[in-house]
Amino acid sequence: MLCENCNKREATIHYTEVVGKVRSERHLCGQCAAQLNLTGDNEKIEQNFPFVKLLTGLLASESLQNDSNDYFAGQVSCPRCHMSFREFTRTGKFGCAECYDVFGPLIDENIKKLHGDNVHCGKVYFKKKDLCPEMDTSVELQIEELLTQQREAVLLENYELAAQCRDRIRALREKSSQN
Amino acid sequence: MLRWFEQSGRNSDVVISSRVRLARNLKKYNFSLKLGVRESRMMTDEVMSRLETITEFAEYSRYDFRDLDEEQKEAMKERHLISEYLLGQEIAAGFASHDENISIMINEEDHIRIQSYVAGMDAKKAYELASEVDDHIGTVFEYAYHDKYGYLTTCPSNVGTGMRVSYMLHLPALTGNDKISGIASEVGRFGLVLKAVYTDTKGKCMGDIYQLSNLVTLGKSEQDLIENINKIAEQIISQERAVRKEFIKKRYMTALDSVSRSYGILKYARKLTLADGMLLLSQLRMGLEEGLIHEASDYETSVYQLMIGIQPANLQMMNDKEMSQEEIDISRSQFIRDNLPMIQ
Ligand SMILES: [Zn+2]
Ligand SMILES: [Zn+2]
Repeated sequence: MLCENCNKREATIHYTEVVGKVRSERHLCGQCAAQLNLTGDNEKIEQNFPFVKLLTGLLASESLQNDSNDYFAGQVSCPRCHMSFREFTRTGKFGCAECYDVFGPLIDENIKKLHGDNVHCGKVYFKKKDLCPEMDTSVELQIEELLTQQREAVLLENYELAAQCRDRIRALREKSSQN
Repeated sequence: MLRWFEQSGRNSDVVISSRVRLARNLKKYNFSLKLGVRESRMMTDEVMSRLETITEFAEYSRYDFRDLDEEQKEAMKERHLISEYLLGQEIAAGFASHDENISIMINEEDHIRIQSYVAGMDAKKAYELASEVDDHIGTVFEYAYHDKYGYLTTCPSNVGTGMRVSYMLHLPALTGNDKISGIASEVGRFGLVLKAVYTDTKGKCMGDIYQLSNLVTLGKSEQDLIENINKIAEQIISQERAVRKEFIKKRYMTALDSVSRSYGILKYARKLTLADGMLLLSQLRMGLEEGLIHEASDYETSVYQLMIGIQPANLQMMNDKEMSQEEIDISRSQFIRDNLPMIQ
């Protein structure tokens, strides 16, 4: 199959683009993909260009249609790393952890379009205070904190997290009873 | 202590390796896009010195780009020890297990990229290895983690699990049958992408080696993502096998002839381009896997290891000098003669 852009080289990059409800299949050669600046970086194998392109593409078309988004673009920026919404839509990259809180609500729907979902449900990370030995408080305190976390998790119906809290509490209790 | 590309594993007639890569960032530093040169250095040094204190990494070897020349870095990339992105970084460092199955890259697109390789088809095992490393690092540092979005990454395309799971597939029969682009667009429907691993200057696939990876990282658990890619990989594997068997059954002598000719050229050539080398080794790999030809000894040669060996930076590193294109092609044929298995 030939590249749909140049019709000269063999297409080696194939993907299905989903914009709104429209799916279209794209077939490009490596060079055209690079020229079209589809690549977030030059990683040949794991370049995630369809996503970056899609995300920035979606955002750009939205802000064209919607003046209020343009207004947003000028106004919203991250207090920590100073990234503006405009800069984000251009690069498709976040500048720091806080950016997710700043821009997250603005792009939530787009994230959902890209991943099919907008809520993480994989591995859960326990914050450092629960894990790090150098900040080790007494076992009692740790259990206390985990219990709070567990209650919160149940309230938020995050049962996976609740179960993990429960297991950690059990492990801590067992360990302290052994000592 | 064999490296992943020296071993064989499940479904290794088609699946060369399984890889899992986890993207992680530290809460206290800005992400790469907003991390200046000085902070990048600080972050890299801090991660290196903290990870050194972790007992599990005590045996790992470590590198810093300050101490490496271009050829060495390029050769590390050819062995898949570091990524293309890391290769392009001014400031970078990392750890690798001695068998090179585990690699921790620092100052990649994300602060930390954990990578694990397993021979053959076993993404679950690869994930377990990477996740264990992840647990150790998450203990000495606080990751950028969000209750809703999970592990936070520079690109929203990696957010959530931060996990990219990939199978490296050898698909000579499907390539020969012109089935790849059809499959590639098919897998897109399942949130996956199929790409050539080695391409020539015209973008044409070399060596019939492809990588199948997930694109979706958010909203599904690691286990579900692995199950999804496994299902699709199984289908590709059975298609590849069917076309191989069919061809060998119908045109046995043609298949045997082409594999034997490839072996002959590999054995007697005195100059080989990368494209030719990859093509011939792909034929050899299929011939051995399908039992068209047999090794004289019980030792199972990893043809993929030869494919890594004939990449330009590796040859230059072995010869310890910069070489012209012609010198590289000569050295490539020499390398193959030195490492080619004996055939009965
Ligand atoms: Zn093209
Ligand atoms: Zn920010």
